[in-house]
Amino acid sequence: MKGYYDIVGDGGSDILEQVEAQQASIARSLSGVRNLLAVGSGKGGVGKSTLTMQLACALRELGHAVSILDADLNGPCQARLGTLQDRVLVPDDSGVPVPKTRNGIGVVSMGMVVPEPRAVEFESVASGSSHTWRATKEFTVLRELLACMNWGKLDYLLVDLPPGAERIVQYAELLGPAALFVLVTIPSDMSRGIVARSLDALAKTPNRILGYIENMDGYYCSDCGRVKPLFPVPSDVKLDLDCLGTVPFDPELAALCDRGGSLADSPGSFSWQPVQRIAEEVCRRASECAPYSKERR
Amino acid sequence: MKFLCVSCDEAMKLKEVNPPERGSLTVVYGCPRCQHEIAMLTNPYETQVVASLGVRVGGESAETEGASKCPFSGVVQSMGGGPEDLKIGFPWTPEASLRLENMPEFARPMAKTGIETYAKERGLTQIDAQVLEQAKNFFGM
Ligand SMILES: [Zn+2]
Repeated sequence: MKGYYDIVGDGGSDILEQVEAQQASIARSLSGVRNLLAVGSGKGGVGKSTLTMQLACALRELGHAVSILDADLNGPCQARLGTLQDRVLVPDDSGVPVPKTRNGIGVVSMGMVVPEPRAVEFESVASGSSHTWRATKEFTVLRELLACMNWGKLDYLLVDLPPGAERIVQYAELLGPAALFVLVTIPSDMSRGIVARSLDALAKTPNRILGYIENMDGYYCSDCGRVKPLFPVPSDVKLDLDCLGTVPFDPELAALCDRGGSLADSPGSFSWQPVQRIAEEVCRRASECAPYSKERR
Repeated sequence: MKFLCVSCDEAMKLKEVNPPERGSLTVVYGCPRCQHEIAMLTNPYETQVVASLGVRVGGESAETEGASKCPFSGVVQSMGGGPEDLKIGFPWTPEASLRLENMPEFARPMAKTGIETYAKERGLTQIDAQVLEQAKNFFGM
């Protein structure tokens, strides 16, 4: 009796072919992307999304074409960070053009598709079982966003990943082996511990991790004009990864972000220089890697 | 999943897919040699798992309403907007509707509402390719 592999084709259900077609259309859509840089952490609340936007601004200042995909479907904030939450996506003949911030950074976020304060919901025929299929569906939505947008020619596509150390591997698989990773932590044992888990999970993938960024590394005291520690005891947890740079907590940045602004609009700000140095370091390291569009498949 | 006619040792071919009823999909397979037919009946969990992949059993040829040009087909239902949001306030020309199909289904309701609001504010009466171009420029894309 014949076995599964003795039979050519799938008898017409066409499911494998459709999944392959999805992959092919993503590859087509991303064919102009030189570096795909996933910004992850594992831990929520470390300022990763804000830092992603600032890093995009700094890369843009260096003369690069940059876009951001907000992969956090359940807590999208890039639309708001780029003051694009009221922007309407308008399709054209070949797909959907990517909306741009006034600094020229392309942003695609669920925040443009699901109006605030609505939560992202999926229809289902299997009630009460969303834990079994929701992750699959979320990745389908991300694949659709990746495939249907006209990303065009980009030096950097930054992907702002949602929290979850274990899931970082699934994102690595989705984005392909040539996607580069940057991890964001804050100087606490808990945050570094979770980032260490993400690092361990990524070690099982072929993806290259450029390094980590230590965010909220101290705060600026306007009284004495110095950066003081935000966490009283330095973290003991060592990360087996290069540090790309540290960024102090910046109240000015928080206020700017609420107005949809960027540090690039406020070059005198004391956290702008660290972000710029990190962007330069990212460029230096990314240039040693093969271009994403060539190596992806 | 593949189906084998045991008596003929021959791979069965998909003949018919019936739309989900109470979450169950009926997929009929037939043996090309002896014409014997069987039906695969999925439970809602199985239907949902396939749906979550964004594929359609039977592929592009399967009959579905509101079929999308997007390779990820209609099984992915809209989110962030139910059918109410899709109620057309404005006539869309076939060309403009076709462009809308370049978008993932879940993104269409909000795009549609936004484009129609843009048109309404300008006293336009229908959405055609030209209006879409204008809206695209207006929204800075
Ligand atoms: Zn037979």
